[in-house]
This record gives sequence, structure tokens and C-alpha cells, in this order.
Amino acid sequence: MIKFCWAARICRRAAASAAAVLLGLSLARAGIEPSGDRGALMRAHRGGALRLSSYQPSGTIDPQINYESDFWQVFAVTQDGLLTFAKAEDQPGMTVVPDLADALPEITDGGLTYRFHLRPGLRFSTGQKIGVADVLASFRRMFKISGPNVGSWYNILVGADACLATPATCTLAGGIEGDPATGTITLHLIRPDAEFSQKIALPFASILPADTPPSDLGTTPPAATGPYMIASYNPVRALVLVRNPYFHQWSEAAQPDGFVDSITIRYGLQNEAEITAIENGSLDWTSDPAPLDRLAEIGARFTSLAHIHPLLAYYYLMMNTRIAPFSDVRARRAVAFAINRRLVVNLYGGPALGTPICQLLPEGIAGHVPYCPFTLNPGATWSAPDLAQARALVKASGTAGQKVTIVSSDRDIERAIAIYLQSVLNDIGYRASIHSISFNIRDTYLQNSSNRVQIGLTDWYQDYPSPSDFLNVLLSCASFHPGSDASINMSAFCDPGIDARMQQAMQTQSAADWAGIDHDLTDLAPLTTLFQIHRLDVVSARLGHFRFSPLVHMIFSEVWVQ
Amino acid sequence: MVPASRAPNIKSFLLLFFKKEDLPSGPWRVALARLRQDRAALASAATLVLIIVACLLAPLYARHIAGTDPFRPHLDETVTIGGRTLDILQPADNPLHLGSAPLGPTWHGAYFLGADGQGRDVAARLLYGGRNSLLIAGAATLLCLALAAIVGILAGFMGGVIDQILSRLLDILWAFPVYLLAISLSVVLISQGLHIGPFTIEADSLLLPIAIIGIVYVPYAARPVRGLVLGLARSDFVLAAVALGVPNRRILVRDILPNVASTLLVFAPLIMALNLLTESALSFLQIGVQPPAASWGTIIADGQTLIYTSPIVAIAPGVAIVITVLALNVLGDGLRDALDPRAKLRVRS
Amino acid sequence: MIRLLAQRLGQMAFVMFGISVLVFLIFFATPGADPAARIAGRNATPQVLAAVRHDFGFDRPIPVQYALMMKRLFITQDLTSFVNRGEQVIPEIVAGTPVTLSLVLGAAVLWVAGGLAIGITAALTRGTFTDRALMVAGLIGVSMPVFWVGEMANLITQSRLHDTWLFFWVPPLGYTPLTENPFLWLKSMLIPWLTLALLYMGLYGRVLRASLIEAYQEDFIRTARAKGLSETRILLRHALRTSLITCVSLFGLDFGVLVGGGALLTEVVFDLQGVGKLTFDALQNLDLPVIMATVMYASFFVVAANAAVDVAYALLDPRVSTRSV
Repeated sequence: MIKFCWAARICRRAAASAAAVLLGLSLARAGIEPSGDRGALMRAHRGGALRLSSYQPSGTIDPQINYESDFWQVFAVTQDGLLTFAKAEDQPGMTVVPDLADALPEITDGGLTYRFHLRPGLRFSTGQKIGVADVLASFRRMFKISGPNVGSWYNILVGADACLATPATCTLAGGIEGDPATGTITLHLIRPDAEFSQKIALPFASILPADTPPSDLGTTPPAATGPYMIASYNPVRALVLVRNPYFHQWSEAAQPDGFVDSITIRYGLQNEAEITAIENGSLDWTSDPAPLDRLAEIGARFTSLAHIHPLLAYYYLMMNTRIAPFSDVRARRAVAFAINRRLVVNLYGGPALGTPICQLLPEGIAGHVPYCPFTLNPGATWSAPDLAQARALVKASGTAGQKVTIVSSDRDIERAIAIYLQSVLNDIGYRASIHSISFNIRDTYLQNSSNRVQIGLTDWYQDYPSPSDFLNVLLSCASFHPGSDASINMSAFCDPGIDARMQQAMQTQSAADWAGIDHDLTDLAPLTTLFQIHRLDVVSARLGHFRFSPLVHMIFSEVWVQ
Repeated sequence: MVPASRAPNIKSFLLLFFKKEDLPSGPWRVALARLRQDRAALASAATLVLIIVACLLAPLYARHIAGTDPFRPHLDETVTIGGRTLDILQPADNPLHLGSAPLGPTWHGAYFLGADGQGRDVAARLLYGGRNSLLIAGAATLLCLALAAIVGILAGFMGGVIDQILSRLLDILWAFPVYLLAISLSVVLISQGLHIGPFTIEADSLLLPIAIIGIVYVPYAARPVRGLVLGLARSDFVLAAVALGVPNRRILVRDILPNVASTLLVFAPLIMALNLLTESALSFLQIGVQPPAASWGTIIADGQTLIYTSPIVAIAPGVAIVITVLALNVLGDGLRDALDPRAKLRVRS
Repeated sequence: MIRLLAQRLGQMAFVMFGISVLVFLIFFATPGADPAARIAGRNATPQVLAAVRHDFGFDRPIPVQYALMMKRLFITQDLTSFVNRGEQVIPEIVAGTPVTLSLVLGAAVLWVAGGLAIGITAALTRGTFTDRALMVAGLIGVSMPVFWVGEMANLITQSRLHDTWLFFWVPPLGYTPLTENPFLWLKSMLIPWLTLALLYMGLYGRVLRASLIEAYQEDFIRTARAKGLSETRILLRHALRTSLITCVSLFGLDFGVLVGGGALLTEVVFDLQGVGKLTFDALQNLDLPVIMATVMYASFFVVAANAAVDVAYALLDPRVSTRSV
């Protein structure tokens, strides 16, 4: 049995790479050895310790539970799924590539069956071989631990309902099967989902050893598959990554080998101190935004240390469509017309750090067709606020003079934007006040309909680069759960017609359909976007080869320090 | 017949005592005379009056001298100083177009101390902020002393079960570090407001910080009051009055209250100084006065984010706090020397 | 004596029980702080939310949840954070203790030395300009908000004057363990020490001066003076001895509060990862288990210091042994 297995694996690998070469795919580069370029760079720059800093940690380091971009950035270099997003810049960084599977899945039955073949010969950082049983166990574990999105993304697996009802005994019977002999894994869906590949390319679907306990790992490091493994994690001190001794590069696109030998993320320093330390070279990078009063200094004296990239993320104002005054679409549009997005961007740090937008799909996402109805000269882009129009709309809606409470977090920048919003709402005829709450409960507070939030400031970052992750997640009827702290559709917006169109677009993945839905939702203004966020990374002078993926941001395995 | 013959004597003695005492004028007059000799205390009182008057005149300053609304952002505006037109928020002139800098001190009427991150006049906000800081500290002091008097007198005078319950409650509050308790209460109340039956206090109401700050120092004032009342209640003249059947209410009004009042008066400026510091700490942590209203603490918080470019925004309110608290402390010392040299107030932060 | 000790212990237990109930009630009903929702993630369905809620026991009656939390804090000692799942609370407090101790011990040395110097100098020069200047300076120290002093210290030492001969040696904010690099530890703690000590120095100086002057009125000092002993000798041998009792009990109480995390604002301003900072972060996160543990820890020190001072008094002075506080 074992011999046969080995032979089959070797055969399969040869066949797969031959096919890739024949088809001329870029995947061909996913060879076993580092390509020539990278090999030379690796010889020249390998080694050293990367010293990073965050003010606060981001919770558990269980990759199947954690839902914070700071830790997804870590998991990007420690964990792998069957698929992953390529570790690359710009558009290539948003494509799904095979990772622990040796090729993209074979999709049959009209999108209901996904067949993978596991790459042979790989090991976890514990030395255990990565086998089919580990893959099966990892998918079950996701349900056993009630992972964040099992009910919303992975519930389309056959057998998921039983797993959701009684997580402890989850088997995913009929939903997932594997053959250790051939290394094949087959997933069965209850209905087609064009985004399923993207969903299982995220850290939630990381492959962990089958004997990983079916409970939150908390601060216990998971077994790694990538070039680094978590050596220790103490939420008030530091997270330490070291090289995974069992790693060898199997695909440069999916999981390139890293340059530095170790990575330490220290916790507790505030951003003023972090920036000072980066400028004088005692730190290499921080995950925190640079403080406003240091931006000018960075822009003038440390230009070469700064890297600015647009994110698939924006700040937006949720407006509750079921509570006055924003139950009236005219009132919502009035707000969208009245906001001077240029000034909001200035409060955020200047034109380099944000692009004013009005629509719901940010630039870079399929289906983004520039559109802004809420500006002085409606058209493709925002130019200036139209206060006259806004006042007229408020008057027409008959809501003038009503009391409006703006809910915002106590973060400096968000508080500043809220104060500006208050002056705008007062200008167009409301009596506005501000309710500022701790940043850590901002979203849970805004989400719960029993808190009766009229209008609130928050932001949204993509999970995976798909239009549905913005439109369907934020505004579908299914993402509204009354009275719950977990109800991402904060506007309580529900339009069955648009819901049906979104369901269809998710199957067809037609960019034009999504563009249409985006523009129609933008017109209805259940939320109004303010600006697309640009990220400023400030790095030490010794940090080289800065590579920025739109999904994971700075790629830890790509940068070098010597 | 000894008791009977003695009784009228004591009674007449007590009545004599009460009449002669005429409490509200005698000792108080002496105290006032002593206070008049205390130049430091007088100077402090004058400083306080000056600060209060200046803060009360904030609207006039904002309208006629600064000529600006310090409660709305001025993100896109200019101001003319000495014939030159300046951007209130100056855009960055660095190659990356990062950041902007608020106008620094002009030392003119408008933007005397410069602008904050929202382009608002810092000097005008300082005066408005002082109104809130002083109002909160003052009101919280009254609340604290009133509660302390009620609790202390009830516990000390009633004794028994009531004393036991109140004293244990005070013990609990007392062992809860002041700032921890204040921050805990604020974090929670700021996120939801306060709902008691049909009454609702909004999260941005000044009543919240007043109530929170007023409560946290109660044990520190109530304990000495209880001790004082306990001592008085066991003193010969009160025991005698009780034996004579003088109603409790009268003993309270005649004997207990005046003594308690002088102690509370000594405590007042000292507690107010502590309240002012507590208010500034809470507001600094964003859980005191809520935007866009100002207090000295919130202005320091605003200034913290600008400390590299415009340190004056954080420096000015701090100096205002130090001067005010110093004046309150000196005044408190003077009052104690004049009224009740034994009164001791000791609070741990 | 034993009765007194037992009584004090009973009181301590009662007070800490009261505080724990208070904390639990304050933080339990905060909207937006449903720990299950924060644990389950931003896109969780009600079904997943219910599973998480059940897992963590958030669906049980409040008294049961309180009892469970107390059990995990004091008996099994495996209480974990709601926000950083898996973060054990007790080891975090243990890890924060050396930082807080470093800050408080160093500052205490400074403020006691400074307080003694101020108090004695002022008492000796009573009524002169020096006395008045010292007293005013002491009062200014008491009148400053500590977070503001810290901010100003940072502004001067980290930014404005950092590149001058005066403060070039000040390292970036943060804590370096004594065992790792003693010199860097000293350099990084010096400014926080001064900041914290500034507050207490003036206070202790004033208290000491007052009790010294009070002691000078006592008969035994007059006797000593009549015997022709030198002023210094009277001061050191007689007056200071009696006056120090007040200061020592004061010190016991202050020290207890600070070790328990009372230097919260100082730790926050200087990015020192001590118990106070842990408390502050937990409060910002509304992380009930950590808040509960740190508040228990803090109040333990308050109550214990108070009991110790009382017992010490009782030992020194039998008259106060029945005093109820």
C-alpha cells in the first residue's frame, strides 16, 4: 500500500508539472527549486532578524478562528490551505493558486464537486507528514470549533447543517471525502458557489494536523506548513516566528521561502514611540497607522522609508434604514451629497492616504465601474459636496429639525471625522450630537439593532477580493440579524429584488451584473462610502525588497534586512 | 432625689450653652478673621475668581476677540492675521503630500494660541473647556460632600445596623482604587448612558462625569465625618441632651450639623482639586466630557495627537489645570488652618 | 491580637467579595460588549453565535457565571481573556508585576529621599523664604495631573531636547528587564521614576514638616533642648523618630495602591507593560476576566496594606486595638 502510494504520488507530480508547462501557465514557475533570480537574491540577503511592533495583539492564534488582518498577515507565512492567494503584488496578488494541493481543483457536476490532489512529500513543522486525513480533519475542525464564518461561507458543504447543529460530532458526511492511497480529496457542495475557491484559500481553511485539539488554540502555536512557524505567543509581550525546519519551497507563487531567519512582533509600544524607533533603526516596521503629527516629518525627511498602497477597504457611514430620519431614502442621499470627502481625507492624513469615493465597490475589485451620483456634477468621480441639493432633500423628506446621534469610536481620527459630520448634519437641517464609544466595541455596538443607532462611522476591509464580499456581505437580507451583536448588515437594509440579483451574480460572476448592483445600491444609499483607504507603511532604512500584496499587505517572507 | 435636683442644672447649663453658642456666627467670624490674615489663601481665592470669571466670559471672547466658533471644525478656511491671509490647517508641502499642520500661536486676537487638529481656536476652547472642567469639579464636590454628610451622619448618629451596612459599603468603595473605579464606571456609562426608571441621562451629558466623580471620593469624606459624628454623639453634652429627651432632629441641627459643616467646608476645596484632576484624567482618556464639547482634559487629549507639531495645544490646558488645582489646594490649607486644624483628608490616587 | 487578625482577614475577604460583585455587575450589561459576538467574529450567523455562547457558558444564569469566573480565578487559576482567547490572565499579571515593581520601587526611593530632604529643610528653616518656597513647590507637585507631566516629559526628552547633551541618553519608550540589560533598564526608568516621584515628594515633604513642627511642641523635645543638645541631634534623634511613624504608615498605604497597579496613568504614558497598563488595556477592551483579575489584585494590595498598617499601629499602641475602620 505504501509503495503504491509513493509511486502514484511521484507519477502525479510529474504529470501535473508537465501539463503546466504544456499549457504555458504562470503556475509553471511553481517548481520545486527557487527560480534563478530568487536563488541569487536568497544567497545575497538570507538571514537576520525582522523586528516588528504592534500596539495590541489580535487575539487567538488559531488560524481557523482568528479574523484579524494583522494575524492573517502572520498566517500568510506560517499556514497553508489546499489553495491560497498568490504572494504577489497588485492584481496577481488577488489570484487563487494551488498551495498544498498540487493544482487548481477539478470542478465537475456543474460546480458541485471539487476534486483536489494533495502535493506529496510535505511535512508540518512538527515533522509529521501532511496527509489526506489532516485535510479531512481540518475541514471538520472548522465546524467543531464554531469558526467565525462556518455558518455564512462553508455552510454550502454537504453535511454542514448537521455540523452547525451539533458541532462536537461533526463529520461532514457526504461533504468531504479523501483517499489516502491516491492523495485525492473531494468536496461536495449543496449548490454551486463561484467563490468557493477563494473562501478555502483563506486562513480559516488552513490545514492543521489531524490531532490538533478541537478547541480554540488560544496562545498555543499551531503546527506550521509555511517557511516560518510560531515559536511563542504572549499577548502582552510578543509573537515570535522562527524558520520552519521542515519547510522547502514547493511553489514560489503560493508560499515563497523567507529571507529573514526570525520575525518578532513586540506588543505595547504606542505609535509615536514606534515611528521614532523605526526612524532611528531600532524597529523595522509597525502594523499601526502612523500618528497624524508625524506624517509631515515622514513625508519630508523619511520619504524613502515610506510605502503607500491603496487597500481594498473604505470608511463608510452606515445609516439605519429602519429608524427615522434615515428610513427615508432622501435623508440618506442628503447626507451622501453633503459630505466633503476631500476634507474627510485630509483629517485622515492627506490626499496621499485616501481617495474620495461614493460607490460600494472599491477600485481593484471586479465590477468596479467608477460611479458617483452624490457630488456637485454627478458622474464617474466625486468632485465637491452639493449642500444645496442636500438641504433640498432634507426639506423634501420632511425630516428637517430631527435629532440625530452619530455613533463613532474614540480613536482620534474617527472622532475627528465624527465632529466634522456633526457640523455637516447641522448644516443641512438636523440637530446632531455625537456618541463616542470604545473602538473595541464599535462594530458590535453598531450592529445590534437594539442599540437603535441612526448613523455610525465604521470601515470595511475585504476578506477575499470579490464583489460579493462587499455588496452581499454588507447589504443582503441574510446578513441582518435583529437584536444581535453579530449582524454585519448594520443598515438593516433588505431589498428582495436586489438580493435575488446578487444571488444570480454570485453564480455567473458577471462583472457587468455586479457593476449594475453596485450602482443601484449606491443610489439607495443604505450606507455611504467616504474614501478608499491607502495604507502607509513606514519601514527602517535596512529593510529591503518591500513587497505589498493587496490582501496580506507587507509580505513578511519577501522582505530582507541584510 | 439627687437626679431630680441635678437635672434642671444640666438643662439650664445646656440651654445656656445653646443660646450663648449662637453657632453660625461666633466661630465662623473668628475663622473669617483668620483667613483674612492668610495672604496666600486670599491670593488663591482671587486667582480662582479670576479664572472663573474668564471662563464665564468665554462666549464673549469667542465672538468678539477670537471671532470664531470654537465648536465646529474649520477645515477649509483661512484667517487674516495682521494683514496676511493664512490657512487654518496648512496643507503639507512635502513630496508625499502627507499630513497637515494646524496654525501655530498668532499672539493676536484670533487664534491667540493657534488652532487644533480641526482648525478650532485653542484659546477659545480653553475658556469653554474651563467652564466644563470647573462645573464638573464643582458640582461633583457638592454631590460628594452632600453624600458624605448624609452617609457619615446616618452611620455615626444612628449606629447599629445602619452604621454596619453603610460602613461596609464605604469599605468596599474605599478599597476600589479611585481611578480604576472612575474609569470602569465611565467606560460603561459612556457607551450606554444611564437609565434609571423613566429617567435617561444621555451619554454626552455632563451629569455622567459629575455623578461618577462625585461618587468615587465619597468614602474619603464620609469616613472622617462619621468619626466626627461618632465622637460628638458620645460627647457629654449630646449624651446629656439625649437623656433629657431633646429630639434627635434638634440635636442634629444644633450640635452635629455645625461641626460637620466646618469640616466639610475645609474639605470642599481639597476635594474640588481632586475632582478637577480626576475629570482631566477621564477626559484625557476620552471617557469624560464628550466631543465636540471641551474640557481641559479633552484639549490635552486633542493636543496629544499634535504634540510634535503644535505642543502648545497640550501645554496650555495643563498649565490651566496646575494653576487652578494649586489655588484650590492653597485655599484648602488656609481654610483648614482657620476653621479646623485637625481635619485631615488623605486620598490615594 | 489573634482576634484582631482574624477580624481583619474576614473584613478583607468581605471587601474583596463586594468589589468582585461590583465589577461583575458594572461590566456585565454593557451593550456591544457581548463577548460571544466578539469571539464569534464579524460575519457569524446566529447559529454559530449560539454555539459560541453555549461553549463559553454565556447562556447560564448570571450568578452561575459569576461563580464560575471566581472559581477559575481563585481555585483552578486558569481564567482566560475574552478578547485574546487563550491568554491566561494570572500569568499576565505575574509577568506585569516586575515592571510595576521597578517603576514603584525606584520612584519610592526618589520620593522618600526627596520628601525627607524637603520636610527636614523646611522644618529647620521654618518661617523663612526657603520654607515657603519648598512648600509651594511641593504643592505644585501635588497639583499636576500625572499623565500631563508624563506627556511633557516625553515631549522634552523624546523630541524637543532629545538631540541635545541634556537628554541624548534617554532611550525610546518601553521597558527593558533589569536582568536583560541593567544599564538600559536604569536609563529607561529614570524619567518615569522622576515623573511619579514628583507627585509624592511634595506631599511627603509637607506631611513630614507638619509632624516635625508638631513634635517640636512636645515636652520631651523641650527637655532635650533644655539639656543643651544640638539642634541636629534633637532633630535626628527625637523629633524625626516620632514624626516618621506618620510617614511610614502613609508610605505603606501609597505603596500598596501603586504596586496594585495604581500607577496606571504613568504606565500608559510611558508604555510600560505593567499591571496598570494591563488593567487599562482590559478596560478599553471591556475584557471582563482581565478586569476582574486586575481589580482583585489591586484591591488586595489596598486592603492588605491597610490591614498591615492597622496591625502595626495596634502593636505600637494598644489603645487603638478595638478601633473599627
